[in-house]
Amino acid sequence: MRVLIATAVVVLTAAPPGRSSVTFAVIGDSGTGDRVQYELAQQMAAVQARRPFDLVIMLGDNIYGRQQPGDFVQKFERPYKPLLDAGVRFYAALGNHDNERNRFYRPFNMGGERYYTFAVRNVRFFVLDSDSLDPKQREWIETVLAASTDDWKICYFHHPLYSDGGRHGSQVDLRVVLEPLFVKYDVNVVFSGHDHVYERIKPQKGITYFVAGSAGQLRKGDLHRSDLTAAAFDQDQAFVVVDIAGDELTFEAISRTGQVVDSGVIHREGRPWKQ
Amino acid sequence: MTAMRRALPFAMDRYLLLPLGACIALLWANTAPAGYFVVADRLSFAVNEVGMTLFFALMTREVLEATSPDGPLHTWRRVMLGVAAAVGGVVGAVASYITYLHLGDEGSVLLRGWPIVCATDIAFAYCVARTVCSPAALPFLLLVGIISDAIGMAVLMIRVPAGDVHASGAALVIMSITSAIVMRRCEVRSFWPYLIGPGSLSWSGLFLSGLHPALALVPVVVLLPRTARVRGFMVDAPARARDPLSCFYRAMKAPGHGVLFLFGIVNAGVVLKGAGTGTWAVALAAGVGKPAGILIAVALAVAAGLRLPRHVGWRDMIVVALSASTGFTFALFFATVTFGVGPVLNETKLGALLSVDASLVTIAVARLLRVGRFAEPRAPGATVPRRYRRAYSTLPPTIV
Repeated sequence: MRVLIATAVVVLTAAPPGRSSVTFAVIGDSGTGDRVQYELAQQMAAVQARRPFDLVIMLGDNIYGRQQPGDFVQKFERPYKPLLDAGVRFYAALGNHDNERNRFYRPFNMGGERYYTFAVRNVRFFVLDSDSLDPKQREWIETVLAASTDDWKICYFHHPLYSDGGRHGSQVDLRVVLEPLFVKYDVNVVFSGHDHVYERIKPQKGITYFVAGSAGQLRKGDLHRSDLTAAAFDQDQAFVVVDIAGDELTFEAISRTGQVVDSGVIHREGRPWKQ
Repeated sequence: MTAMRRALPFAMDRYLLLPLGACIALLWANTAPAGYFVVADRLSFAVNEVGMTLFFALMTREVLEATSPDGPLHTWRRVMLGVAAAVGGVVGAVASYITYLHLGDEGSVLLRGWPIVCATDIAFAYCVARTVCSPAALPFLLLVGIISDAIGMAVLMIRVPAGDVHASGAALVIMSITSAIVMRRCEVRSFWPYLIGPGSLSWSGLFLSGLHPALALVPVVVLLPRTARVRGFMVDAPARARDPLSCFYRAMKAPGHGVLFLFGIVNAGVVLKGAGTGTWAVALAAGVGKPAGILIAVALAVAAGLRLPRHVGWRDMIVVALSASTGFTFALFFATVTFGVGPVLNETKLGALLSVDASLVTIAVARLLRVGRFAEPRAPGATVPRRYRRAYSTLPPTIV
């Protein structure tokens, strides 16, 4: 119970007042510190100028390689400076290349926890540490999902439950543990990275899964489309912009050059298979 | 049915049920992962937290026998070199594990996994060493394995609590030990009351204390009355022995191996595609760091005045050091305790499985160095290589 109290509630109050919708960007596997990460960040800033984000969610592998203070500047603070200056808050999940201590890095807003939850208006985000889904974390996610009465429930973590990425693919051991909980407690959308491509999976048991692990790293041509694939893009770096208004979630996947490579609308609705 | 009856003791004596379970799990996880991981997840608690109490209880009995008077590890003089070697092995393995991770410039979550590389699968390593090593070196190998595992286990218990800590847990453990002592004083002759009473209390106590409950039967087995002596490792008690420890061993040996088979099924199913940094770090630590650490520590200890065990030369010592690098069961167990479900666990488990390759290296090196069974050709009619004849004659018959 102590753990729950410590980790469960990180309340976000930074959302601009007076707006009913929630807009956020999604980046994964971003922290390379190389030119393409900066270019994608510039593209994000350009989009943000037109459609202001409330926040950016980071899907892990936020800092690659050395993780000294200078690296946080080069691989995070400098590329995303325009966004940070505009008051956009970043909420990070840990990836396999991240040091666990990064949860104490203030701009990642993790509250010192490996897993946590926060809400913006009617949208609640559940952030998991998929590196190691220990029994405590499993108990925690079930408890907070069950307690949530928010209209939209969005989970994000590093390793994808469904993916057609050739290098890694679906993380089935995590899926058998998490998917039943997501279905039981009406999670709407799940974002992951790890595979360095963009992919949208056809809804699985009513849940839409995104793989968005190409905001810095890219594995060109690594995507092997399957029956699961709804849309995919593996030719350039990309990020996703999501806008939630009422019962509709609108998304756009945007490449480093500004090309919209996927877009659509997800409706919040009941799940017939649960009856 | 008859064939099965013959095959089972054969498999148990050669410690084959765990590798069999591991092979099935590997095949299953890589052909039908969804089904495998559902089954593994459902069985995980029953096998890892409950069933494994039997395995650790049986291992405790082996340690008790080995360290009792007349046992091959009795007296501190014999123990000192083994302690030095085990500490050296652990330091070598951990240093190479951490160095490998830092070479990648990352202080990733894998750093938490260093206790995994302390592991030595004593039973598996013993079975391999028995076939190739000088028999005089076997007690030394056992000692190194036992101490390495004890170090890893102690670190894990402290660093990775299995659950929330409740003060009542310690009280239950104390009650368990006290009740076992009372039963022993009252000369309770059946092992079942020990298991049901103190065993259950100990399991609950450890669980509530946040310690891993698989060790619940360790204090209970230590307190089981015993009169019969067995000489050697993994050897049955004499059929006429009726003391509780001997009866416990006879009754639980087959279920214990059944648990190991299930342990293999539940824990060894890793996706081969999931190999990563953790895999190579664990494999390198086991295959290089640990044997190097053991050999360096032994060299330093010998330079400081300790002596190699009788009839054990440096070539034997190299083979023993390689044998001790097989982590297998213990490494899988340590990985499962350290990491929750996910890719990091998969990576490190794969490394633990790869450490089994050390047994092949052991055999190859033993052959190369002409150690143990690969020593010079036997004289006609002799059953033991000539250079080891004296060693065999001084050891208990069951070890031979």
